[in-house]
Amino acid sequence: MPALPLHHYLIVGAILFALGLIGFLARRNLIIMFLCVEMMLQGVSINFAAFARYRGNLQGQAFILFIVTVAACEAAIALALILMLFRRHHSLDVSKWQELREPGEEPTEDVEPLPPAPREPPLPHLTPSGVEPEHRAEESHV
Amino acid sequence: MPYCLFSAVSPSVEWWPIVLPLLAGGAAIYLLLPRPQAYPMLWGIALGLPALVLTLVLLTRSGVISPETILFWSFSAVAILAGTLLVTQHNPARAALAFTLVVLSTCGLFLLLAAPFLMAATIIIYAGAIIVTFLFVIMLAAQSGLSDADDRSREPLLTTLTGFILLGTLLFVLQHYDNGVNEAARELDPLVERVQKIQSLDTREAMVQEVGEPGKDDDLFRQFKRVYSRKPQWKDLEERVEHVGFDWSDIDSKDAKAVEKSKEQLKALGTLAASARQRLNWMPLLARAPLSNMSGPPPTVEFENVRRDETQQLPRMPADNAAYLGRSLFGDFLLPVELGGMLLLVATVGAIAIAFRRS
Repeated sequence: MPALPLHHYLIVGAILFALGLIGFLARRNLIIMFLCVEMMLQGVSINFAAFARYRGNLQGQAFILFIVTVAACEAAIALALILMLFRRHHSLDVSKWQELREPGEEPTEDVEPLPPAPREPPLPHLTPSGVEPEHRAEESHV
Repeated sequence: MPYCLFSAVSPSVEWWPIVLPLLAGGAAIYLLLPRPQAYPMLWGIALGLPALVLTLVLLTRSGVISPETILFWSFSAVAILAGTLLVTQHNPARAALAFTLVVLSTCGLFLLLAAPFLMAATIIIYAGAIIVTFLFVIMLAAQSGLSDADDRSREPLLTTLTGFILLGTLLFVLQHYDNGVNEAARELDPLVERVQKIQSLDTREAMVQEVGEPGKDDDLFRQFKRVYSRKPQWKDLEERVEHVGFDWSDIDSKDAKAVEKSKEQLKALGTLAASARQRLNWMPLLARAPLSNMSGPPPTVEFENVRRDETQQLPRMPADNAAYLGRSLFGDFLLPVELGGMLLLVATVGAIAIAFRRS
């Protein structure tokens, strides 16, 4: 029998689920939103594993395998969709798709300007390669 | 304000161990979420770390310090920290790295929960998924350069509120459940101590005196029955206490056999109490649940006999986990497994159809 009570595991699962929810709602990058959904699924999986352990049978663990299956399907479809959306707007920003909003809604606009991009360090100068070196006529001392 | 709210629903739940870490954690996430004029990262860290420590100390406090509790604390701390990083990180590549940490520490928790097969399966499957995500990040984010997507968040205040109100509700319900368990344990533990004390006595006279007169209020058996009647998962124990019985006659008997017999009876009582104590952490037993024994023993099996091979009398967890899981999947869940395979096929076809470049 495990030394810890069941609700400890449930608390960790709940925290992961809530963090994933916040990330999904707040972030605007499609790939990060996708990762946050995966994290919510991880939180749910912990709950299932804990219940399976404290029940003493394996139905919870079997259910986690189905969650993993569905997560794999979701990943395939989501990444395909992200690829397709990226081809249209050349950006991963979900706000680029806000023309899909309801008719009466105001569009959200970014008021604050972004900070200037940090200057990239200059690339080191290397001697060009692939240039044929000068051939000096061999001096003969014969 | 929160006090009224909490005490109205359940007076037994203390509100500050829940509200304190929630407030600190919520403020930390709000400060750390990416925005054009970011707050100093130190503020978020200064609020977030105490919130994490408070959560682990206040909500998951347990008296025993064993390797299991230490592992649980470290795995869950890493999971929560990496989850925060994933939510607040600007750089998608780093967010994907944080997600690997979340998956790895979740796998550690799976191991603690005696699910080694799932641990391995999750690592293998998610490793593939994360590598693919990484490729996407490198392929797409490198093309688009500095964008609004990574440096802004939508409605940071409202989303943080939403998430933490949900979390607060969940934690409140969990604490409510835990309080019920603790209350029952507080009633049971003194009785168990009494049984142990009586067992250590030498003469039958002293034993009978300690057990108490039958029918009186301090009668040990009657007190056990009263405690057992309080919880639904103890219902069958109430009857079994009666079957144990105790011989009150022959008090002066110096016969060693009689003393031994009484000790045996008390030992049976102690076993019942231990079973009750362990059932507290379990779900209530549902005897009528239509389960086959392919997914392990049905919930009506006693705790001592769970995962015990009937021929060899050896416990079967967790080395046989994969065998049990296979039997469960291809016995109880055969149709869902087939449907899962079908779903994977459909998803593959769909993904190819969606991502196919028509030109």
